[in-house]
Amino acid sequence: MTSILSGSAKYFITLTFALYSILLCSQGYSQSVGDTLRLPEFEISSKYILDNSGFKRVKIDSSLLINHLNADLSNILSQYSTIFIKSYGNGSLATPSFRGTTSRHTQVEWNGVKLNSPMLGEVDLSQIPVSQFDGLEILYGAAGISRTTGAFGGVINLVTNPDWNNRLNILTAASLGSFYTYTTNVNVVAGTSSFQSHTKFNYSSSSNGFPYFNDYLKETIRQQSAAFALYGMSEELFWKLKDKHLISVKFRYNENDHNLPPTASNINTNHLEKQKENLLLTVIEYKFVEKKYNLLVRSAFSDQKMHYILDSSINNTHRYSQWINKIRLAYFGIRNLTIKPGIDFTYDQVNSDAYNGTKFRATTSLFSEFNYEIGKNIKTSLVIREDLIDGKFLPVVPALGIEFLPWNKFNLSFTLNLARNYKYPTLNDLYWNISGNPDLKPETNYSIEIGSAFNHKSKDRKFFFEFNLAGYYSWIYQMITWSPVNGSSIWKPENIDEILARGLETGLNFKWEILRFLISLDNNYNFCRSTYQKASSAYDQKIGKQLIYIPVHTLNSTLNVERWKFYLNYNFYYVSDRFTAKDNLSIMPGYYLSNIIFGKNIGLKKIVLSLQIQINNIFNLDYQAIPDRPMPGINYAFTLKLAFPNSAR
Amino acid sequence: MKEKKITLINILLLLPFIAIAVLIGSCSKSPIHEQIITPPDTSHTTTYENGIFVVNEGNYTWGNASVTYIENKSNIIIQDIFRKSNDRSLGDVAESMKIANNLGYLVINNSNRIEVVSLKDFKSVKTITGLDSPRYLEIVDSNKAYVTNLKKNISIINLQTNTVTGTIQINGWTENLIGFDKYMLVTSIGGYTEPSSIRKPKILVIDTQTDAIVDSIETGKEPIGLVIDKKQKVWTLCTGGYDQYEAPSLIRINPELRLIEKVFTFPDPNKVPSRLSINTTGDTLYFLNGGVYQMPVTSVALPDQPLIQSDGRLFYGLAIHPGTGKIFVSDAIDYVQNGMVYQYNIDGTLVSTYAAGRIPGSFCFTKSISK
Repeated sequence: MTSILSGSAKYFITLTFALYSILLCSQGYSQSVGDTLRLPEFEISSKYILDNSGFKRVKIDSSLLINHLNADLSNILSQYSTIFIKSYGNGSLATPSFRGTTSRHTQVEWNGVKLNSPMLGEVDLSQIPVSQFDGLEILYGAAGISRTTGAFGGVINLVTNPDWNNRLNILTAASLGSFYTYTTNVNVVAGTSSFQSHTKFNYSSSSNGFPYFNDYLKETIRQQSAAFALYGMSEELFWKLKDKHLISVKFRYNENDHNLPPTASNINTNHLEKQKENLLLTVIEYKFVEKKYNLLVRSAFSDQKMHYILDSSINNTHRYSQWINKIRLAYFGIRNLTIKPGIDFTYDQVNSDAYNGTKFRATTSLFSEFNYEIGKNIKTSLVIREDLIDGKFLPVVPALGIEFLPWNKFNLSFTLNLARNYKYPTLNDLYWNISGNPDLKPETNYSIEIGSAFNHKSKDRKFFFEFNLAGYYSWIYQMITWSPVNGSSIWKPENIDEILARGLETGLNFKWEILRFLISLDNNYNFCRSTYQKASSAYDQKIGKQLIYIPVHTLNSTLNVERWKFYLNYNFYYVSDRFTAKDNLSIMPGYYLSNIIFGKNIGLKKIVLSLQIQINNIFNLDYQAIPDRPMPGINYAFTLKLAFPNSAR
Repeated sequence: MKEKKITLINILLLLPFIAIAVLIGSCSKSPIHEQIITPPDTSHTTTYENGIFVVNEGNYTWGNASVTYIENKSNIIIQDIFRKSNDRSLGDVAESMKIANNLGYLVINNSNRIEVVSLKDFKSVKTITGLDSPRYLEIVDSNKAYVTNLKKNISIINLQTNTVTGTIQINGWTENLIGFDKYMLVTSIGGYTEPSSIRKPKILVIDTQTDAIVDSIETGKEPIGLVIDKKQKVWTLCTGGYDQYEAPSLIRINPELRLIEKVFTFPDPNKVPSRLSINTTGDTLYFLNGGVYQMPVTSVALPDQPLIQSDGRLFYGLAIHPGTGKIFVSDAIDYVQNGMVYQYNIDGTLVSTYAAGRIPGSFCFTKSISK
């Protein structure tokens, strides 16, 4: 407990310090800069969306992402959500874990199209640059059932949206950072009131040779062979016809090339570990909007290739293609009732050196959602999903949500949801050479969640306050765990573990406009107990113990201050100790990190020039998320942005 | 709002906050490596000259290998003695330990090194580097030892200078070693990444005076484990290959004639036997195959019932105490928590249990074997 207390005390002090110094500095600056520039419109929006009634969805604003164009998705989620990111190092594999589940239980989508590999079932968040999406929404726990089965933790959806008022907006950004890190972005957004085109390029590379204290050698050395490079481009076209038809075509290509560094106790060896990935994704979507019904038809094709090399011992190529289709109808013709039937069809094909031959999987999912309002105060939703995988029906996946709004004038709501969910084994679980286990059963999840949300806006719109609280209780049966086969070096997946995950999530957000300062303060805290409930033998000590690599406490806090076109963003996040043994007898110490972004937007006729300095890990803390995988200490990035906005507004 | 200049007072007001920030920065240098919640026992002051070393492999790439010491007379258990004496991790994947010239040689596979420690205080006296994923060390004489490697070659170590002085060139993975006459017998498995169908497994015969491979004996796939019985017959256990290429087998070899005399084939190809051991009198073999199996060297068939049932435990390491003849077997449980060590009588009755570190895999007994 002491580490938490001291952590939060430090957090409070640093926050006060940051706030205080800003007030002082900006007062000093005020004379020279002047105050002639008009303040941007102060937009108030709730982060806690009450849509899919009774389920939790949280949005991360695009305004926040624009200052992080040189970052990847793992940085954003660590700093602004309480999802724990298990990172193998800067630029190396980073996977999400939320609500006490593993990365396989989190679906990551780009505009509704899943990015999870059908092989591992997870997504490497370090390989998704922030510049490739405008905003993101997080669907917690059972909320994910509206998108897919098996996402026990939830769904992270990265979205890009057209702005019909836009005419021409060119954004170029270049960033230079510590350890020879370069990032370049070019976004060209052009169009009319009925057609919009988004063209985006991104490139980043780093030698990534940061210094760290090597506990094994007892000296500070530089990280070896950790360089990476990411390239990407995307083209998105949106057409709108008579406000009724919306057609979009999206195309995205990514190429990532990175060296995986040796572990801290395996240095001074001729370590060679490399990974190269290519992703090609095409999405075609049609939306028809009528008064009484909507229709959505989407078809996506993704092709991914992963090439992995480890010394001279492994040289594997994995290639997988996915054809992902979705049809959704929404019917509003009955009073107080919305019916949204739909069908999903996904076809996976994997061609891997680690499989014996090409493997396929066809998943058909029948879906229906019913939203019903009982009076003015109660909203309910029922989601039912039925998956048919390779000709076999999985049990029905139901989710029921209830939202209660006791007062009309007072934005306070209470929610409850109940769900049963299934996770089908990944293709690696089933088909990996020698190890694969075709007899695996799907993992089963039962969950209950209660929540409450409140928000308040002052009448002059200068103050906004939001609070949310959610508690969940979730059982996972027959969880698939890879473990060694008795007496051999072969590991096999089996339906072994039984997990009980329960926790509490809170959020507290403020926005003020005071003395023409725009101040926002967002705080999130998560408590998560996720424990093993079944032992393998008499000496197995894991019953009631926390899952490895899942922190009990995570906390983050972001202060954003704007004035005179200056902006300052101070982010703090804390991750508590994680256990590295199922008997909970060894731990990785917790860490708290502070990051600062300070910048200025300078309006020059039709151009907006932005200068930004970013300091990550300002207290130069030595930390690791995974044993023996060092993380960088204090590091800097300077960003120059040039924007040519031209809007019809 | 009044406009202000940066005044001295402003700067002075800022100072305490800068000081606090610096303070937080400087006091935050907490240890970053994996921490054991029960730290190494420092209450016992002992030398490590009369007991049992349990070598805990640790998890691959986590750098958490350790050594547990069980003192013979007192039965006192001391965990993580290498960190206790050297204030650093032993490294990544500790494969085995051997004692030579009153020094302990800890073979650290994925750190590519051998830590040489004094048995008085377990302090590292030398770190031998220049190896290729080392596995086992065997003493030739007080000046020379051989070390097998996973990736290639057998390394020749000078035990006086504790350096690698040469290699015996082999393309691929060599595992166990045992001295016979003036020769060293070494199990050679084949290319580390090759499928079993390509591998040519054999036992190499190396002349220890010339360091030359003089002969070889073909075996089943993946020969792991090598012992000599009282009649000077060599036994090796073949797993059949990681890809279950063939049924596992136990092979008896005449090392004089360099010929296979007898092959015992295991009936269940899905159960993989391991950790071939022999008692001090050289008349009884032991191995793991789920449970612990016992087999007289004169037996005409494989034992069909285990001496010790596994009962859901994950038996991982096996050794026979050279002084007492007692059976030591380790339990890795699920590889992701601290393991156990059990001591059994030769009739399979439990004598005692000991807590160990992460993935206890091999044992090393001191020369003093009083108990």
